[in-house]
Amino acid sequence: MEAVIGSALGKFRIIDLTMGIAGPYASKLFADYGSDVIKVEPPGSGDIARSIGPFYGDDPHPEKCLLFLCLNCNKRGVTLNLENLAGRKIIRELVKTADVVFESFSPGYLDELGLGYDELSSINPNLVMTSISPFGQTGPYRDYEGNDLIYQAAGGIMYTSGAYDREPLKHGHPQSLYFGGITAAYATSIALYGRSVIGHGQHLDFSLAESAAAHQYQPVIRYAFLGAIDRRAPKTDTDNLKSTGWQGIVPTKDGFVSPTLRPPRRSLSGAVAWKEYANIIGRPELGDALAEARTGKERDEILMPALKEIGKFDYYHNIMSREWLGGVVQTSEDLVNCPQLEERGFWTEVTHPVMGKVKLPGELFRMPESPWSMRYPAPLLGQHNSAVYKGELGYSDQDVIRLRQQHAI
Amino acid sequence: MQDILAGLRIIDSTTAVAMPTAMHVMADLGAEIIKVESHTLTRDETGPYADNDPGDEPWNRDASFQHLHRGKYSLTLDLKTAEGIKAYKELARVTDVIVENNRAGTMDRLGLGYGEIRNLKPDIIYFSNTGFGHTGPWKRYAGIGSMLELICGLSQFTGYPDEGTPRRVGAAWFDLHVAWMAVFAIMAALHYRSDTGKGQWVDFAMYQIGVSTLGDAILDYSINGRNGRLMGNRHPVHAPYGVYRCQGDDKWIAIGIETDEQWVSLGSILGNGLMDNPKFEDPLSRKHHEDELDNYIAEWTGDKNAEVIMKTLQEAGVPAYPVKNTKELLTDSHMEARNFYERFTHPPESGIGIRAYVSRPWRMPEMPSVIHRPAPRLGEQNEHIISDLLGWSDAEVSKLYALDVMGKIPSNTFERKPVNLEAAVDEGTIAEIDPDFKETLRYQ
Repeated sequence: MEAVIGSALGKFRIIDLTMGIAGPYASKLFADYGSDVIKVEPPGSGDIARSIGPFYGDDPHPEKCLLFLCLNCNKRGVTLNLENLAGRKIIRELVKTADVVFESFSPGYLDELGLGYDELSSINPNLVMTSISPFGQTGPYRDYEGNDLIYQAAGGIMYTSGAYDREPLKHGHPQSLYFGGITAAYATSIALYGRSVIGHGQHLDFSLAESAAAHQYQPVIRYAFLGAIDRRAPKTDTDNLKSTGWQGIVPTKDGFVSPTLRPPRRSLSGAVAWKEYANIIGRPELGDALAEARTGKERDEILMPALKEIGKFDYYHNIMSREWLGGVVQTSEDLVNCPQLEERGFWTEVTHPVMGKVKLPGELFRMPESPWSMRYPAPLLGQHNSAVYKGELGYSDQDVIRLRQQHAI
Repeated sequence: MQDILAGLRIIDSTTAVAMPTAMHVMADLGAEIIKVESHTLTRDETGPYADNDPGDEPWNRDASFQHLHRGKYSLTLDLKTAEGIKAYKELARVTDVIVENNRAGTMDRLGLGYGEIRNLKPDIIYFSNTGFGHTGPWKRYAGIGSMLELICGLSQFTGYPDEGTPRRVGAAWFDLHVAWMAVFAIMAALHYRSDTGKGQWVDFAMYQIGVSTLGDAILDYSINGRNGRLMGNRHPVHAPYGVYRCQGDDKWIAIGIETDEQWVSLGSILGNGLMDNPKFEDPLSRKHHEDELDNYIAEWTGDKNAEVIMKTLQEAGVPAYPVKNTKELLTDSHMEARNFYERFTHPPESGIGIRAYVSRPWRMPEMPSVIHRPAPRLGEQNEHIISDLLGWSDAEVSKLYALDVMGKIPSNTFERKPVNLEAAVDEGTIAEIDPDFKETLRYQ
C-alpha cells in the first residue's frame, strides 16, 4: 500500500480508469491529499492527455506532455487492456482492495464487459463507483457525444457570455473539464463518508453537461421567478450608466484590468465615490467631470484614455489596498512571478525521469494537520506494472511478461 | 435510505455566493447547516423578488437567497454584542464544522477565531475562505468571483481574437468552482477527523483554486516561454470547433470535432464536396483551413433548426448541441428526464409557490430528490437552536430579543424596487420576458 500516513485521504485506494482532463483531475485531488491512486492506461498510446500538450521544450514526446504531468503527479501508473479477458480479470482483482473506481467510458460499456457497478459491487460492496460521462447514465441523450465546447453550449454558459450581437463565447481554456473533475471528486468523497452512515458504497452518475449547467443558477432564477431570459451583454449603443464599457475589461498601458465602482463602504457613493476613484487612479483633476457625467458614454470618454496611461498592477494595487474591488488580467508570466503565490508556497517541484526538474502548481488549500504533499511525478506509461501486478496481486515474473506478450497489459 | 450527511452540524458564517453554495450543497445531502446572520445587517438580497414583487417581507422573498440558502436554518445573532458572542460560542461547542469567509483577522477580533474556538471544541474543523489566503502581501485584498476570474489567469484565454480585449464569462463560473472545491476540502478534513479524532484550521484561498486549473498554461510559459492568447471558441488542436448560426433569432449550434471518425460523419452529412476537398482531408489540413471550413458549416446550418440538426449530427456520432438560453435549458427534454431542474413547493404562507431550481450535477440512484427544505425566514430557527439545542430558558431567549441581539425583522430598512423589466430588455441584459413562464415550467 502506498497510502500516506498523516494525510487526509491516505486511507483510500482509487482505481482510475479515466483519461483526458476531468477524471484525472478528480483523482489528482485525492492523490494530492494522500490517496493511493492507481492510474490505468491502455497499453500502447496511453492516456489521450499525453498527446494534447503543451510539451516540454515543444517536443511532442509522449513522456514530455506538461498537461499530463500537471494532472497525474502522485499517482502510480499501470497499463491494462480491458478488451482482453486477462485484463478484465485484473480489474476484478484490483477492485477487491479498492475504495473507488473512476470511469468515463460511454454509458453501458463497462456493463458489456462484465465490469459494471452491479458486477464490481458484488465483489466489493463498499466500492464507490463514479461514472463521469457527457450527459449522464440515463435520459434520452445519454449516448450523445460531448467535449468542452459542447458542455459550455449545453449548460447555457455560452449563451450569456460574449457580445450582445456576436456569437456566444466560451471560456478560452477547457474549464468545463476542470470543474467537472472537482464536482466528481467532492461527490465521491461524500459517498465515501456516507459508507459509515448507509453501510455500503454506491454508484454515482455524474454529467459534465449538468456540471456546466449548474453554473447558470442566476439566469435560471431570473426565468423561474420572473420569466426573464438573459442574454450575453448589454447592447453597446445604450446610454444607460450601468452599461459603461468601463465596467467590462479595459486596456491599460501594459495589459488589462477590470474596474468596478465598488467602494468599501455604502456611504461612499455617487459623486463622492467618483471623486475618490479619480484620486485612487492618480487623476484627481478628473473627479468633477466624472461626477457630473450623465451617461456611460461620457464617462467612458473620460476614463478610458486615463486608464490607458496607468500600469495594470499600479491600478490593481491602488484599488485593492484601499479595499475597493478590481481585477487585473494576469498572464501566465504574471502568475509565475506572483509575489502572493510565492509567499504562500504555492509552487512545488518534481524531478521527472524524462523532463528533469519541473516547478508546477502545488498546494490547493492549507490543511496543517493533514497537508497537501508532492510525493512523486506523473508515471511513465506502465511504470508501476511490476510493483502492482507482482508486488500486490502476486503474479510471477514469468506471468507478468506473458501478460505483456498477450497484450493484456 | 438515510441522508448521507445526516448528523453533521455546521455553522455557516458566510456571505456572497461561493461559500453559501458550498453550504447548500451539504444541506442538500442532509447536513444541518445553521446560517448565523444578523437582523442588524443587510441580508444577502441580490434579487430578483418572486414575481418581481418585494412584498411585505422582501428579505424572505429574494430569489437568489432562496437558491443559495435552501435547506439551511437561520439563527440571528448580533456579533457586536457580548450575548451574541456567548451564544455563538455555546453553539460552537456542539458543532462539527465552522465555515466563515470574513476578511483575514475579522473572526480573531471578534474572539471567534480558530485559537479561541479550539479551546471550547478541540476537534472543531474551522474552515476559512478568503480571496487570497491568510498570509502573503495580498491577504487584505477582497476577492470576489468576477474579479478572481481575471486575476487567476483565465481571462488571458477568453474573448474574441479579433477584438483583442479579454471578456468575462457571463456565468458564476468562479464561485461554483470554488464552492465545490470547498466541499471537497471540508470532506477531506472530516475524513481525517473520523480517523484521528483531530480537527484543524483550513486556510482556503480562492485564488489558488483558480490558478491550479491552469497548470498546462503556466508550464507553457515557464518552460516554453509562451503566454496564453484569446481563443474565441476554438480548440488549440482540433478543427472544426465552434458555434454556427441557425434558423431563428440568436439561435446557434456548437459543433466540435476531435477525431477523424467524427469528421467523416460530419462531412458526409454536410455533403457539398467537403469530403473530396484536399484542404480538409486530414486533421492538420483542417486546422490550417479552419476559417474556410467554418464558412462551409455556417452555410449549412444557417437555414436549419438547431434542435433538429443536433439530433441528426449526434445520431451520426458528431458532438453537437444547441447553445441553450435559459428557457431552453429549463425545457430541455434530456434535463427534464433527469429532473435536473427540481420543482420545489414552498410553504403556502411564503407566497412563493412552486419554483424550479438547479438541483445538482450528479445522481445517487437511491436518493433522487435533492432539495430538503426552503431557505429559512430571517431568524426562523432562533428558538429551536437557542432553547431546544442549547437549553437556554425562555427568560434568556426573551432577553436576547429585548436587547436586540436576536430579531426576525431587519432593523435597517432600505427601499427595494422591482426590476425594471422594460429597461432591462431595452438595454439588452434581458433578451425577452416570457409571460407564460409559469405554464412553461408547470407551476400550476
